[in-house]
Amino acid sequence: MSGRAVALPYGVGRISLGWLALVAIAAALVGVGAFAYAIQELEGPIATGLRDWGTMGGATWGLYVSFIVYFVGVSFAGITVAALIRILGLTYLRPISRVAELLTIVSLILGALSVLADLGQPLRGIANLFRYARPQSPFFGTFTMVIAGYLFASLVYFYLAGRRDAYLMAQYPSPLRWLYRAWAAGYQDTPEEKARHERISFWLALGILPLLVIAHSTLGLVFGLMGGRPGWFSALQAPGFVVLAGVSGIGHIIVLAALLRWSLGLRDQPEMAAFRWLGQALLVLGIIYIYFTIVEMVTAGYAGREHEQRLAKLVLVGYYAPFFWTGMGALGLAIGLLASQALSGRWSIPLLVASGILANVTAVAKRLIIVVPSLTHGSLLPYGIGMYIPTWVEGAIIAGLMGLGALTILLFMKAFPIMEVPAPVEEVRP
Amino acid sequence: MPRYAMTIDLSRCMGCRACMVACKVENNTPEAHFWMYVFRFEEEEYPKTRVWFLPRPCQHCDNAPCVKVCPVGARYKRDDGLVLTDFQRCIGCRYCEVACPYGVNYFHWKHPDKAQYLDYTDDPEVKSRTNNTMPPYRNPDADLRYGPEERLTAGAHHYRGVIGKCTFCVHRVEKGLEPACVANCPVRVFEFGDLDDPNSIVSQKLRTNPHFRLLEEEGTKPRVYYLMGNPPSPEVRQVMPVKGGKRG
Ligand code: SF4
Ligand code: SF4
Repeated sequence: MSGRAVALPYGVGRISLGWLALVAIAAALVGVGAFAYAIQELEGPIATGLRDWGTMGGATWGLYVSFIVYFVGVSFAGITVAALIRILGLTYLRPISRVAELLTIVSLILGALSVLADLGQPLRGIANLFRYARPQSPFFGTFTMVIAGYLFASLVYFYLAGRRDAYLMAQYPSPLRWLYRAWAAGYQDTPEEKARHERISFWLALGILPLLVIAHSTLGLVFGLMGGRPGWFSALQAPGFVVLAGVSGIGHIIVLAALLRWSLGLRDQPEMAAFRWLGQALLVLGIIYIYFTIVEMVTAGYAGREHEQRLAKLVLVGYYAPFFWTGMGALGLAIGLLASQALSGRWSIPLLVASGILANVTAVAKRLIIVVPSLTHGSLLPYGIGMYIPTWVEGAIIAGLMGLGALTILLFMKAFPIMEVPAPVEEVRP
Repeated sequence: MPRYAMTIDLSRCMGCRACMVACKVENNTPEAHFWMYVFRFEEEEYPKTRVWFLPRPCQHCDNAPCVKVCPVGARYKRDDGLVLTDFQRCIGCRYCEVACPYGVNYFHWKHPDKAQYLDYTDDPEVKSRTNNTMPPYRNPDADLRYGPEERLTAGAHHYRGVIGKCTFCVHRVEKGLEPACVANCPVRVFEFGDLDDPNSIVSQKLRTNPHFRLLEEEGTKPRVYYLMGNPPSPEVRQVMPVKGGKRG
């Protein structure tokens, strides 16, 4: 067989014009982001719109921290999907499991990079966060557990789950055969190996599940434990973060799955059942999140201390109301779209994609609403109100990170099958 | 081991902000950083208007939220009560600043030489006034390691991308001197001393004067006691806030 005779499954190794265009856009974003980061490194964090709260009248955390939370939130999807397949046996989700796991890994890395963008001393941060790690700090959960533990566990899972496909891919002649051989690492897809593989995946998925809840909760606790910050101190913060993570993560998966189905020209994969299941999950999580938000606002507005009330008012009808209502409106619309499909029993992929995008608009808006108002308007001492307008540097770095994520997924798609390869190899249609 | 504390007599303070200047001179803090800050408050409406002042250093809390949240232990509390920052360990996450309810932390948003009131790297005006020597006049004491733990204390050199705040002038206290604000107040608003010593001036003042601590309800257990006054009510208006701007 010559090197190009057999088409590899799912467009691996085939470079199309559309793909090239996407790669170019993503790479351009990465370039702009890198340029902006260079400016931030040269001038210092002064290049951002962030400033000290208090006498300086700024917000200490802003876009970067909001996106740390957002990116880590998106990572929710992958492991959940993987775990549901293994534990609940939802096999029709199988085709999207790889892209979901990849999304987890990519978004966790983007979360870690946004941490570095935010730190005043990023290099020292990498060293000291491990060297002097203090479990008493809520950041321990974010840095050490989420970004190291959760990422590591996800990588192991991703690697193990890919071995079977790597073995199958190694059967094809291709320039990347060495990669598949190395990835498969002796895996032969014999029945015993298959059984062992299933067993390991099951336990690993089971093990990662509590890690997932803990990880997203600790991220919530970063805010929820701050007694001196009106708007943050709340026991609902942790569960709220888990749910909103689910909303954004599942929204992302829907969009990615639809993009795959469309771009790979697959008529029936991922199956409609998978989309339906994702839509239902998004619907339920979205409703829970709306419920959480209402409970939180009622508590703060009705029984909250003076400062809590002032902040609740500011978010509901004041300066930050446009952000809040954009976020909640988007979620409401998404829920409406999903509910109408669920009631009629007819699911449409474009509508699902729209709800997925809307869910992510909510996730970003809501994160900004959590982070910023408590800093600019949440002072317990009469400092006066603050102001935060992100600079283009912050925006460009975030856009660059998103570009980096897209670029990683795009490149991966061409090197490894993005969906599980149906066995045996001979039956694969190009 | 002493147990240091500060008292601030609100009935004496006349809002001159000399302590803020003394702190700046002593600690070389950059523009718009106020390790010591004096609120000027106005209450009620004319003709009942009342104007009063409230100095705000770091409260050196016993249950300091900033120490609790620091992910690397750069913010630490000494046995004598001082809350300090190891600026070589600090990674600049600003979590301490977010957790502190008093707003006393200042982050070095740019290189401190460029963040001074004049640009210390290339401002000809500076040179014309200083006989061609280039400030900052850094206090060499401020960057030393102090205490039994021999740790750095966020001294006066300042580095980009780390946090800084009031140190109770640890470099002066270690020599038996008073913090700069205490020593320079023209009407002796501040006292500084050892709570464990019943004869210390702070112990005496606390015995004989009504006092409160700021935001006591937050459970931070501050080491700064305000004498002869009331905490600011939500109705107070701040007048003449510093125009530090956003220069960081
Ligand atoms: S006042 Fe703020 S910075 Fe000072 S010890 Fe208390 S919490 Fe920490
Ligand atoms: S900014 Fe520095 S001192 Fe403050 S919490 Fe972060 S690492 Fe600790």
